[in-house]
Amino acid sequence: MDVPDSDFGSDGWGFESLRTHSKSCRANAGADPGCEPNARFHASDRWDRFRYRAFMDVRADLLDAQRSAWDALTRPGTWWTGPQQAELAATALAAMTSACPLPPWTAPSTVAGFLADDLVAPAAAHDAIYRVAAHAATLTETWYEGMREALTDLAYVELVAIACNVAAVVAFRRAAGLEPWELSPPFDGEPTRTVPPDLVDAEMNWVRVTAPADEKAAVVQAFTSVPAELDRLWTLAAAQYIPNLEMVDPLWTRGTLSRPQTELVAARISQLRECFY
Amino acid sequence: MLSWSSQQSETEIDLAALARGSGDVGLPHAKELLRYATTAARLDDDLTQMNEARQALSAAAGEAMMIDAAAVAANFHMMTRLADGTGARFTPARLEASASTIAIMGTADMVSKR
Repeated sequence: MDVPDSDFGSDGWGFESLRTHSKSCRANAGADPGCEPNARFHASDRWDRFRYRAFMDVRADLLDAQRSAWDALTRPGTWWTGPQQAELAATALAAMTSACPLPPWTAPSTVAGFLADDLVAPAAAHDAIYRVAAHAATLTETWYEGMREALTDLAYVELVAIACNVAAVVAFRRAAGLEPWELSPPFDGEPTRTVPPDLVDAEMNWVRVTAPADEKAAVVQAFTSVPAELDRLWTLAAAQYIPNLEMVDPLWTRGTLSRPQTELVAARISQLRECFY
Repeated sequence: MLSWSSQQSETEIDLAALARGSGDVGLPHAKELLRYATTAARLDDDLTQMNEARQALSAAAGEAMMIDAAAVAANFHMMTRLADGTGARFTPARLEASASTIAIMGTADMVSKR
């Protein structure tokens, strides 16, 4: 059973540094009558226009995978500290839930007052995760190369993973009608900075991957340079979609969606997100 | 994957209806699932349509199916960002094999095509 967090409605940590974002978005709202102010910083009243279900049967494997991914957003990772991860997760959350995101060609750090002055993660990292979260389909290899120069490629991969984890949890809870989760206070500690010994360039991805490259699908090898995120990704995918070993079975089902029904939902989301892959 | 899984399970589907977001895709509860996925593709705080689509799917197919559909939607919010964020590409052979699906779905013009 999924039980709403008792602290829901509090002004959770992780958004303090971005409070000015809402001010900026209000300015945007003035230019576009259909654009509401970014309400991420008023999370307590953002999604309460309908009545949440107090209890809902959510599979334990799904709940555990999402809770684990969410908790990791405030802990030291491979390249980012806990406070940096939490801050970047907050930027991703703001970007993907905004009714009026900045356009793809405008980096948050170039908009006066959009980001706070006391960020613990580099401004370039906030720019990168904002773009991945809000406008992933518009990314280009040239843009990626700029981010690789600014952040290093492995830190960039972990940053993409942060956006992916935020997206998975936010999308599930919104679609299922469950209360959104708040980020917990961040944990201290150093990133592991673990570098796999066998990194190579790939034809099928911009980012480096572990050898041998290009023998598996591009999405399968994409996070191999950051093994902790690779594990998290496939734990989530197994619970949310299909366990890896069942992927080749066109008749596999959990007893609810058939495989074609599963793929219908997958295809429609991918199409509307304009993801060619 | 939709084309493959429907062929393998000998289910005839209408990809064009899926691409349009309306019409008879040819699967049980497809109308409710398509509406639900369409509204779940957004993450903003306009929840009126999401609530209606969720209620319609739950009424037609049950809450357990709705929860699993929400999980699939979540997965593809995740995977699309992974694919586009890491510059994922298809092999030429895979592109060739998917040509008819790409044409029907109208994805060839997407800016994310690499």
